[in-house]
Amino acid sequence: MITLTICLMACIIFLSRYGFLEPRLPITLNASTLRFLSYSAPAVLTAIWGPIVFVSEEGLNIHWSNQYLLCAAFATVLAVTTRNTLLTTILSMVLFFGLRFWQM
Amino acid sequence: MSMSCDQSASQRWLKGALAALPLSIAVIPWGILAGSLALDAGLNPFESQAMSAVVFAGAAQLVAVGMIKAGVGLGSILITTLLITSRHFLYSMAMRPNISPLPFKWRVTLGFLLTDELFAIIAGGKKPKETSQTLDRWYALGVGLSFYIVWNIATLAGILVGSHIPNLDSWGLDFAIAATFIAIVTPQINRPSILICVLVSLVASVVCELFQIPSGLLIASLLGMTVGTLYAKATGETQ
Repeated sequence: MITLTICLMACIIFLSRYGFLEPRLPITLNASTLRFLSYSAPAVLTAIWGPIVFVSEEGLNIHWSNQYLLCAAFATVLAVTTRNTLLTTILSMVLFFGLRFWQM
Repeated sequence: MSMSCDQSASQRWLKGALAALPLSIAVIPWGILAGSLALDAGLNPFESQAMSAVVFAGAAQLVAVGMIKAGVGLGSILITTLLITSRHFLYSMAMRPNISPLPFKWRVTLGFLLTDELFAIIAGGKKPKETSQTLDRWYALGVGLSFYIVWNIATLAGILVGSHIPNLDSWGLDFAIAATFIAIVTPQINRPSILICVLVSLVASVVCELFQIPSGLLIASLLGMTVGTLYAKATGETQ
């Protein structure tokens, strides 16, 4: 039963990932669809990082004592000024885990 | 294939693996959790590893394992899987111009590896005007495969020692995800419509999270994309 569950889950997930990559699928994406899809990366990525930064176990947390929010703001400033993805990621992680370590 | 070509392929692979590194680190606790929770739900070690090796979908795995433990039926598990995984339809559609012209083995491989993280890096690195640019397949493979390997090693660690690692979820490793995604998204905001798309997705995703709305990620993303597109159309914004 568990083997069956794993196999069927794998099928569903693979089809969702591969489906539109199949060239024989008779769809052509027109200009306005492609335009709509060009917003998918910023939209999806923001929808993933938003709750991580703004929501803690107690609920909405918009306060500077929220280290996620503080360091996310720092990351945003770094990203705007440096435009360097890796540098932004590393420096803001150093700040975040530095603050956590400091408070232990 | 010549020597120099091989070399540059492996260099591009490594470059991709390096780009994925913060996300690979961030996923380690979730991998450990996926392994230890699967064991805890009554899967044997082989099945627990197979979940990560064959299904390879963090959120869907964690939820499914919880449902198996609770004795929920197969139909409900599969419908929930479909809901959680539905965002991947969006990713494969967005990557269709880049990946569908590739040979079969590349399509299937990159399709199998098309997680949030792979999409984030390869779609996030695209310039707005380059929607039909040819994808660097080795770079994409480096991102996807290195992430797959880390996910499976972390799962194995979870199966072997998961119950002995204290407070894994309080380490704050999920900040690495936020940091990486902010670093990818922020430089992409070069037009008002993208800023609006990001703000709408942000507010909607936080609201969905607070009200624990299922598929909140997909709802928030589609809302942001729709409002961004409508704004661009209404103002006649050029790409």
